[in-house]
Amino acid sequence: MTAAERAAVRLSRVTRLFDGLAAVSQVSLEIAPGEVVWLRGWNGSGKTTLLRLIATAISPTFGGGSVLGFDLRAERSAIRARTDLLSHETRLYADLTAVENLRFACSLYDIDPRRAEPALGRVGLEELAAVRVGRFSQGMRQRLALARCIMRTPALILLDEPYAALDVDARVVVDELLITARARGQTVVVASHEAPPAHLIDRELTMDGGRVLAPAGVTS
Amino acid sequence: MSLRVAQAIVVKDLRTEARSRSAVSTVLPFAATMLLAFGFALGPDRLLLARTAPALLWLAALFASVELCHRSYQHEAANDALEGLLLSPADKGAVYLGKAAAAFVQLIVLLVVTTGIVIVLFGLPVGPAPALLLLTAVLGIAGLSTLGSLLGLLAVRSRTRQAALPVLILPLVSPVIIAATKATTGLTHGSTAGIGGWLSLLVAFDAAYLAAGYIVFGHLLED
Repeated sequence: MTAAERAAVRLSRVTRLFDGLAAVSQVSLEIAPGEVVWLRGWNGSGKTTLLRLIATAISPTFGGGSVLGFDLRAERSAIRARTDLLSHETRLYADLTAVENLRFACSLYDIDPRRAEPALGRVGLEELAAVRVGRFSQGMRQRLALARCIMRTPALILLDEPYAALDVDARVVVDELLITARARGQTVVVASHEAPPAHLIDRELTMDGGRVLAPAGVTS
Repeated sequence: MSLRVAQAIVVKDLRTEARSRSAVSTVLPFAATMLLAFGFALGPDRLLLARTAPALLWLAALFASVELCHRSYQHEAANDALEGLLLSPADKGAVYLGKAAAAFVQLIVLLVVTTGIVIVLFGLPVGPAPALLLLTAVLGIAGLSTLGSLLGLLAVRSRTRQAALPVLILPLVSPVIIAATKATTGLTHGSTAGIGGWLSLLVAFDAAYLAAGYIVFGHLLED
């Protein structure tokens, strides 16, 4: 097995330009399978772009790499089938109910629609299953997006500012997701401007100006 | 899995329309107002109104399809749901087929209503071959929905947004509008001569747009 196959994420000198400006610049990174990594940085440091590059939502302008052993450019479908990106935009349909949104995701991911209701229960939204998402607060929408992730159990979970807009109860749901993912051997990358919950992560990286700086500490 | 994905998209789009009523509240009044405006512009000459009615009907269907496909992708763009489709492993061709099928159903309903308006206001006769007229409607709407569902995505992803859609769609959809208008004119005025040729043209363009959409949609969805 090569190093690329062993790593859950392996990026080599990845750069992404937007209108000539580098949002991510010359990032080389390796994340082991099952590792929970906290990517910390201020707004505009390039965290979101880096997560979107790993999720194959956007392509690198320069550089390359692999995710879960699949090439970042050539095998995007395989990466997408095994990865979930939770971002500020919840990718939910406002005119569908909570459970309809999850069942729609089941169709896209070819998974059993009966997983929808238990996933709603995990995030405390079971009583709002029949309520349209348009009536949900941002925090409730984020919970529903978490339920979609829980339902899928992807090999790689990418969380972009997962604690933003969440109340204390919902923050516990994110913490539980991290604990469960770690126990199951799922790889997790969390991008946040907040200080990490040290007991839940394996490694902290810092981003600034589109670059990943030297590791800030290892807690595992 | 592809059929399941297409079916899920159809159900989702029709459910969204049933609840948001965007076609009923905006697209239908737009088409009806346009027909009324044409009626006023052409004057009270019943013969002229009946002669121009098929062209006006298909123009109304065309502008309604532009608006409907734009709104359909606006729903996808909200909360970045479009990226959700991109990042799913679902067959993107099946996503396109679902979007086109949902647009087809909505446009058929719109065409039925606008045809009623045209029959009442412009005195358009149904003609002796209603089955062929229905086939013309189905094939014409299929052309509008297959092309609109492809170019609607392009428009929502471009910087010019809504302005881009008519500019893109009008030149490409011209053969469909011409063939559908010619066939409708012939059939409503009692002549079936040359109808086979116009219907064949519609079938050919529908098939070409459908195939192009199925193949290209995934590439357009990418960054």
